[in-house]
Amino acid sequence: MIKKLLIVDDEAEICEFLKSFFEDRDFKVATAHNGIAALEQVERFQPDVVLLDIQMPGMDGLQTLKKMKDTHPKLKVIMVTAVETQEKIEEAMRLGADNYITKPLSLEYLEKDVQDKIDSLAKIS
Amino acid sequence: MKKTAFSHVRTPKTLLKKSLVALVLFFLGALAAYFLPLLVPASGASAWVHHPLLPIFVMTLIFVVAHKAIERLIKKLLEKYFFHKKTYAQMTLMDLAGDLAVNLDLQEIANLVVNTFGEVLHLKTVALLVPDPLQNNFEVASAYGWRISASKKIRLAVDTPLLKMIHQTGPHILMRGPVLQSLSWQEANALACDLDALQAGWVIPLFVKGELEGILAFGALVPDTVFDQSDFHFFREFAAVIGPCLHNALVVKRLRQLNFELQDSQSQWVQKTKLNAIEKLAAGIAHEIHNPLAIISGKAQVLLMQKGPKQLEPNVQEALNTIVKQTRRAADITRKLLLYSQGSRGPQEWVSLEKVLDETLALLAYQASLDKIEITRNLDPELPRYHANIQEIREIFLNLLLNAVEAVGSEGKIVVEMKYLREEGLLEITCSDTGKGIPADHLDKVFNPFYTTRHEAVGLGLFVTQQITHRYGGSIRVESQVGIGSLFTLQLPCSPETARSGEAEKRVVEGVSGRGGQ
Repeated sequence: MIKKLLIVDDEAEICEFLKSFFEDRDFKVATAHNGIAALEQVERFQPDVVLLDIQMPGMDGLQTLKKMKDTHPKLKVIMVTAVETQEKIEEAMRLGADNYITKPLSLEYLEKDVQDKIDSLAKIS
Repeated sequence: MKKTAFSHVRTPKTLLKKSLVALVLFFLGALAAYFLPLLVPASGASAWVHHPLLPIFVMTLIFVVAHKAIERLIKKLLEKYFFHKKTYAQMTLMDLAGDLAVNLDLQEIANLVVNTFGEVLHLKTVALLVPDPLQNNFEVASAYGWRISASKKIRLAVDTPLLKMIHQTGPHILMRGPVLQSLSWQEANALACDLDALQAGWVIPLFVKGELEGILAFGALVPDTVFDQSDFHFFREFAAVIGPCLHNALVVKRLRQLNFELQDSQSQWVQKTKLNAIEKLAAGIAHEIHNPLAIISGKAQVLLMQKGPKQLEPNVQEALNTIVKQTRRAADITRKLLLYSQGSRGPQEWVSLEKVLDETLALLAYQASLDKIEITRNLDPELPRYHANIQEIREIFLNLLLNAVEAVGSEGKIVVEMKYLREEGLLEITCSDTGKGIPADHLDKVFNPFYTTRHEAVGLGLFVTQQITHRYGGSIRVESQVGIGSLFTLQLPCSPETARSGEAEKRVVEGVSGRGGQ
């Protein structure tokens, strides 16, 4: 089974190293730098898991999350945040986010978490 | 003859005269008893007059009747030559008034007034009442001859009959008897109630510029004591002098109170503004700095966790590890500041303390080298779940443990204990180490923000721990001995609302607490 991951962050460098990290682990990775591009990629790329930054210019992570979950309720979304504002985290959880992770990222933890989400998807299907 | 209050205690001319008359009468009686038999013929029915015991009998009788007067005479003569004069009393009180003018402490003024007044006039009770603007009534500032507990209970509302009366009559001295007689019986009854409550025979209102600033109420030791016109004249003068002193002291007291309130609200405002500013700043910094930190740390991690045949040189691997560790440390500053400034606004849940502790220990092993450090967990088997924000509890454990690890250095022991003190309703977390200890003169600083002894630390850990503990209504203290180790004791209030031992919530808790992390 091909593991597909979509990375959404307005910082291109972050997308880049995450992409190389996950490609190294046999993931197929797509990236997007804003909310609208992310929604397009969800349609085109059909990812299993999305890493979604909360703070982005234009449509922010929470709005993007809501639209993604509206159209693809089964999609696993892990929120990535630079600032742990409890309100935003709560809001994300309420909107159906599957987990959140704070920057700077621990890749070890992230890898494990993404794998968990893929495994849980495999179980359902 | 009229007896005045001053006269019965001071040296009264009237009493002196009275006593002299009694003495003269005594001698006249004695003479009469002696000479009477000589004037009466010693025969017939009047023969009893010549009985030899008669003069002795009569003189004894007169002595018994007059002894009080004689005694008083002797006493008064003594008093006369030992400074007891009416003017002396007045001078004492006027001296007092002079002293009061330079005093601004309300309590001291009140004590001086009632004690001197009471002692100089030999009064039974004296009470000085002052207005309490907050309660809109008058309370006893100081009392003489009262039980303190009884005097504290007295409060006169501004609409009581006595105060109404005072406002009607103005700065005149109220005498119980005449005033009550001048009123209808209903009014008199009501007024008598107030006067009884004050145990007062006389009431001197202290007016300053038309404002009632105090009430001096007093009762005499001898019930039938009365004051004469000169006494009242003196009282009025006395009141005119102490009134302004009292007024000044009251103004100073109110100013102090207002100043205190102002300072209090000011410091609260400053604290709030400071926290808001820190929050904004920390949130801004976090966003701007965490992204570059994430890139630095991420790239280093990508290299470290690279798969394939390439093996990194040990020195490169070490450098990369340091980069990852140091970026996390930098991010910690803003994260802690943010956590502190945001207050307890995060979601609360039923937290398993044991689980959080274990998670923290796992995280710690990842952050610090624990190879030669022996960490012991000592947990109460009936540890309840605690209703709190899991991030904050994690923060508490992490900071206590990081601190202990740092103190221990490369080798030593750390013991974490958790106890549920059922009777006190407290959850006690202790963390002891065999580290280098904290010097006694630094003990009170360890919880200060940015206090640190490590050159590479921020100094927010224990500060944030203390802030979180206080937010939950708990306390944290530290005991330490240099060279032996330190003991941190943290107590959190744990009522049935914040603690649950049942398994009912376990499912819910585990569903939530698995989230988050770095």
